[in-house]
Amino acid sequence: MKFTWFHLMPYRWLPADFRERYHSVWVDLPNGIYDPEKGHDLYNEYLDMLEYAEQCGFDAIAVNEHHQNAYGMMPSPNIMAATLARRTSKAMLLVLGNSIVCYNPPTRIAEEFAMLDVISGGRLIAGFPVGTSMDINYCAGQNPATVRDKYREGHDLIVKAWQTREPFAFNGKYTKLRYVNLWPRPIQQPHPPVWIPGLGSIETWDFCAEHDYNYSYLSFSGYKRARNMMNGYWERRAALGADDNPHSAAFFQQVCISDTDAECEKQWWPHVDYFFNKCLHLYPGTSEAPGYRSEASLRAGIVAQFGNTTQNMGIDKTWKQLVNEGYILAGSAETVRQQIEELGKTLRVGHVLLGCQIGSAPAELVNHATKLAGDQILPKLRHLYSDYEDRWWPKALPASRRAKAGAHIPVSAGAPR
Amino acid sequence: MTEPKSRMLDLGAGRPRLEIQEAGSGPPLFFLHGAGGVAWDGALGQLAKHFHVYAPSLPGFGKSPSEGLELIEDALELWQLGFDVMEALGLEKPLLVGESFGGWIAAEMAALRPKEVGKLALLAPVGVWRDDSPVVDLFGLTIGELLPFLFHDMKSKAALDMSQLTTLMSDKDDRTQAQIDQLIGIFLGFRTAAKFLFPVPDTGLERRLWRIRVPTLVLWGAQDRLIAPSYAELIAKRVKNAQVVLIERCGHLLMAEQPEASAKEIQRFAGV
Repeated sequence: MKFTWFHLMPYRWLPADFRERYHSVWVDLPNGIYDPEKGHDLYNEYLDMLEYAEQCGFDAIAVNEHHQNAYGMMPSPNIMAATLARRTSKAMLLVLGNSIVCYNPPTRIAEEFAMLDVISGGRLIAGFPVGTSMDINYCAGQNPATVRDKYREGHDLIVKAWQTREPFAFNGKYTKLRYVNLWPRPIQQPHPPVWIPGLGSIETWDFCAEHDYNYSYLSFSGYKRARNMMNGYWERRAALGADDNPHSAAFFQQVCISDTDAECEKQWWPHVDYFFNKCLHLYPGTSEAPGYRSEASLRAGIVAQFGNTTQNMGIDKTWKQLVNEGYILAGSAETVRQQIEELGKTLRVGHVLLGCQIGSAPAELVNHATKLAGDQILPKLRHLYSDYEDRWWPKALPASRRAKAGAHIPVSAGAPR
Repeated sequence: MTEPKSRMLDLGAGRPRLEIQEAGSGPPLFFLHGAGGVAWDGALGQLAKHFHVYAPSLPGFGKSPSEGLELIEDALELWQLGFDVMEALGLEKPLLVGESFGGWIAAEMAALRPKEVGKLALLAPVGVWRDDSPVVDLFGLTIGELLPFLFHDMKSKAALDMSQLTTLMSDKDDRTQAQIDQLIGIFLGFRTAAKFLFPVPDTGLERRLWRIRVPTLVLWGAQDRLIAPSYAELIAKRVKNAQVVLIERCGHLLMAEQPEASAKEIQRFAGV
């Protein structure tokens, strides 16, 4: 099993009466309550957490994309990944990912991902979410009725641009380009591994199987509620004739790790409370534009086939409920390790994306958890599924051929490193 | 009113299949529905006493399969589809009536082929936009919160009937199959409207209004909170031969909230 340290980058300073005063954490929360100077501290603190995760032995560090969202302050994950590419050297960089439909032309994504891959020496994992309806429809104004068609076309263009060594013309419905000719092109061949984040739609599973991409289930409701859904994933893969390689799947899980079980609730509850009861405060009127989901997915969602409707988001639950129901894995490193092992075995996932920072959790608490995970969890679970080939992992340049950041700054100039 | 008859209209391979409802007898009236679809219990039923009403349902509405939407690539093809249906029904220069979303399509059709429309009645059409009077976001509200923007009197029968829909939106899984189908139907209809109106319903109609030459009635609810009644004058000023009528004690859904008054105005305008 491989471990990725995944950051959402929530804004820490939502007021105590946030839910009473504002109707959503997303889309139309006035940016007047955002304090850029506090944001300055937060970005740097959060990037430090990600860099520290590399030092603690995490296999990858991850960022994602949200817009107009107080729990996800990364409208451009590529900017985050760019800073990390320079300040880290071992960890893979999972950008999960770029919402293809928001960029015009989509070759912009092919270019930026190629840049990240080249800067980092081939450490990039390229994520291609369709994007939430809040992000792509309400914030980016993309038409819900055509957005999936546009997504597929943009994807085809990006992947073709990565692999083609001569200029070509692209005559799409949404993008027409006379000369596609990517400079730079990625280090990884034929292209960086592609991961697709999703929430359980069959169309996405089929898309992943068709292209041999990793499927990353990003849920806030934890591994226990994900079992039916992931069973559905594996059954679908089997039906399509795809293999059952655990590395074809990743799962996001939030964790609260302390020295002992006894002190965990006291240390983490305020931050868990902040996440579930402020960060997930969403307005249903802008949660899904008509047409965002297909009729089949809509029907599945309405009858709550996979148990992932809004009432399962974890709002207004107690610490005990959130822990017992698996929304968060909490306790000592050993307690959390046992649950991650169960997660890995029951969901059959080779990649675990750990949300080690939750809600308002500050660096001191989070870094300690990261260290505990690196020392006591990761080494004990790496063997799981290690006999399966991981086709979804970057093929980075060997260390001997990697450039070192800062190597060309003259020492006499007083370089900070 | 006689019971409306429903049938499927086949326009040929690669074209959307559409439900056509017909009722009444008299001069032809070609009706284009709004984002809620075709309903006969309002003004349409009244009109069928004086006209032969033809009411197609766009893909995703009524019995028209939603997949048909993929076969309408852009707005121009939507307006052309209107004429294809008229031709298939053998309608020549009908009275063209459109409400809200359908009002926009009707106006565009009249601008596109002015000689093929008899008269034009626009009931609070979308399509024009002013920054100082933004049209309410049809796609960014829950049904419960949208309703007060659609009606003047939330205690009117039409408003109370529609309020029943909000009970379908619960988080519980206790809906009947019929209720699920109704809910899905609303989403699929809105999806069709969204394809042409999301995210800002400024379709460029304003630039084309001068092309409309047929006698035009611009009918608006005086208390329309979704699209302010000031849009009525704005549109009428740009159409050569237009008259504005505001209906009192009426919100956006004219045909539902004031069926008699709306039908009467259309009848008067048509001279029937």
